[in-house]
Amino acid sequence: MTPTTIETRPIRPGGLKLWLERYPFLPALIIVVALLALNGAFSPNSLSYRSLTGLLSTYMALIMLAIAQTYVVSAGDIDLSAGATLSLVNVVIVVLMEKWGGGASAVIGAMLAGILLGLACGVINGIVVAALRLQAIVATFATSIFFTGLALYVMPVAGTPAPALFWRSYGGRLLGLPFVFYVLAVLALLLFVLSRTRLVTQLLAVGDDQQAAYQTGLPVVLVRIKGYALCGLFSALAAFCLTGDTASGDPLVGSKMTLYSVAAVVLGGSALAGGWTTVVGSLLGALTIGLVNSLVFFMGTPSEWQNFVQGLAILLVLMAGVLAGRRARA
Amino acid sequence: MSKLKLNGVSKAYGATLALRRGDLEIAAGEVHVLMGSNGSGKSTLCKIIAGSVRPDRGEILIDGHPVTISGPQSAREQGIGIFYQELSLAANRSVEENICLAMLPTKAGIFVDRAALKARAARYIALFSGVSGDGFAATTLVGNLRADQRQLVEIMKALASEAPILIFDEPTSALDRAQVDRFFDILRGLKRDGRGIIFISHRMDEITAIGDRVTIIRDGETIQTLNLSETDPAAVIRLMVGGAGDMPASQSSAPAAARFSAGAAMTVDGLSGAGFRNVSFEVAKGEILGLGGLHGQGQSALLRAIFGAGSITSGEIRIGGDRFDAKSPRDAIRRGCAYVSGDRGRDGVIAGRPIIENVTPIHYLRDRLMVARPSSLKAKAMPALEAMHTKFASLMYPINSLSGGNQQKVIIARWLIDRPDVLLLDDPTKGIDLSAKADLFALIRQLAGEGLGILLYSSEDAELLGNANRILVFNGGSVTRELTGEDRTRYNLYQAAYEAA
Repeated sequence: MTPTTIETRPIRPGGLKLWLERYPFLPALIIVVALLALNGAFSPNSLSYRSLTGLLSTYMALIMLAIAQTYVVSAGDIDLSAGATLSLVNVVIVVLMEKWGGGASAVIGAMLAGILLGLACGVINGIVVAALRLQAIVATFATSIFFTGLALYVMPVAGTPAPALFWRSYGGRLLGLPFVFYVLAVLALLLFVLSRTRLVTQLLAVGDDQQAAYQTGLPVVLVRIKGYALCGLFSALAAFCLTGDTASGDPLVGSKMTLYSVAAVVLGGSALAGGWTTVVGSLLGALTIGLVNSLVFFMGTPSEWQNFVQGLAILLVLMAGVLAGRRARA
Repeated sequence: MSKLKLNGVSKAYGATLALRRGDLEIAAGEVHVLMGSNGSGKSTLCKIIAGSVRPDRGEILIDGHPVTISGPQSAREQGIGIFYQELSLAANRSVEENICLAMLPTKAGIFVDRAALKARAARYIALFSGVSGDGFAATTLVGNLRADQRQLVEIMKALASEAPILIFDEPTSALDRAQVDRFFDILRGLKRDGRGIIFISHRMDEITAIGDRVTIIRDGETIQTLNLSETDPAAVIRLMVGGAGDMPASQSSAPAAARFSAGAAMTVDGLSGAGFRNVSFEVAKGEILGLGGLHGQGQSALLRAIFGAGSITSGEIRIGGDRFDAKSPRDAIRRGCAYVSGDRGRDGVIAGRPIIENVTPIHYLRDRLMVARPSSLKAKAMPALEAMHTKFASLMYPINSLSGGNQQKVIIARWLIDRPDVLLLDDPTKGIDLSAKADLFALIRQLAGEGLGILLYSSEDAELLGNANRILVFNGGSVTRELTGEDRTRYNLYQAAYEAA
């Protein structure tokens, strides 16, 4: 029985609140612009076409991983194995490309295998978390160790090079434009298409209130597994970008990226509790982390202080974003 | 042939039987009312039909064929739609998305067909046009709506299932008159279409306005099904109450006019706040004042507000002549006010900590203790625990090792070390066994005898009738009736509770 409550809350959201409801990534966008300006102030060269392209190709992997994380966070879940999935796909495609001769067909074949592998990792996570009902944080932490173990079996030592065709394409140009721009364009299209799917609406409904979604008749378990599958797919795409950027295989490369991806999701304006997420925000959140790192570098911070300043800067950005969002949405 | 038939359905949660034996038969084209007091098993019965609770035993027939309902999804496929009392909405999705959430219209199998979704939702939104209130639009996020508007969305969502069997579990509790009238018009239309409708409400006037037949459930058992046109509200209430309904409060009852010590323990004058309106009363020293009525009619909200845990918009509280306006529970405790909640997990128990730490927090606060000496604390804690006949092995055992009843005794004991002036009891016996209840009420009466003023809200009417000197019946946030002396009967209590707000 609902208690009779006398509500005093305003019904019609005000201007700013309405804007934030429609474009929840706005604070993240403002922060990215501010960080670009700061970068420019410390080193005008950092805003050149060349360095921005470089920044994008370096951080494209994190962008992909943050987007991967966003889909599971939408449903109120989390994936601490996203980075390990990335590492596993990274070493597997490098080994396969080398084995299959390094030609165009080898590259495409390996990428297909990589996508299947990413999906498989996601489905395993989904089954463990949604069907077996284990705690998402601990269960995906466990699968991350498992995936890392597999990656170490496939490639015990880092350093096997990727074929030149692969990384030259990623770092090169196509029809006069840097290849990474095409990646970004395809990503934008993919995100747009995904945003229209029934799955994304269902993921958000599950994240909003899992019990309510179940009572509504949504296939909650299946929806959550699909969310993890989507996360695995984007982790594989992240692995492609990373392989293109580093041009080699490394079985441990993704482990420290996992929590960065979670941070990027939050910096972008999504609610970690689920039900309220923005993939564009996560993209901007990943860029924020990249820009903070480059700012620390351009400021000429002594190397032993770089981590300290990075952490402090991310904390500040997080505070600014959260406070602005809270004030506007309250 | 009946549209839906339930035979001997039962459901137990651990040792508690939520539903002992549910029988129900719904015909096509009728509004079938389910009636029963708090916790009689109405909602459990509805959830079994809707698939969100699996029955332990019994059979369900739809159109004469036995069916198995394995979950909400399968219930929908079998043609059952439900309005959930606690609502099943996604706060961050829009009104139209929520209405269509169960069956999102799709293009190519994977994309949401926005145009079809808008069109479908608009049909149901239009049903309530004019009464849905300000700020209600198809694209508004449900989280931005008022309580009554959210309830309307849940109604639209249930209607959108277009199911032949529709269940409405208290759909009108937050709606205003115009919204209820519109809803009833819609229900009459559905009746003409030959749908079978189950309807739960606690307002007698609504039940007689819309219902065709009524099934009465008492203590988890179906008692009887009646035609509403051939019966009157008094007969229905008598069936809900059971045989002993007309008897005055039992012989164990507290005296109607006890020899109260001089002076009021607490005076409340015109108090309004979130969930209650214009409440005035006086509790004498030594009096147990009962707060009755259906669950959630403002009793808990009032007690929490007095204790400083809820909001007060106007009115005045006095304790022993001084104005008492606690800004926080901490403040209220310092000034001699005690509060025991039935929701131990949320409001009482410090989970995982030893019993001694659970007995002493109030003592820390009232005595401004900075350093705890276990031996002297033990000397203070033991008498309080013994007064309650609390069973425990050692003060150092975690509180979770105790049964629910003994945990609640520990929670009450914490108020006995430094005696308060006023004791607020908010359904204190929820989920505890009979002997613990008996101990608890013996103590409460003893405390009253020592001159405490006690406010007792209980969802079990027998507890009110057996212990309270006077009973204020709450309905829709305000006091609608006061029962004293010989008037304190089960029948009067039910009747006052079920009157239209």
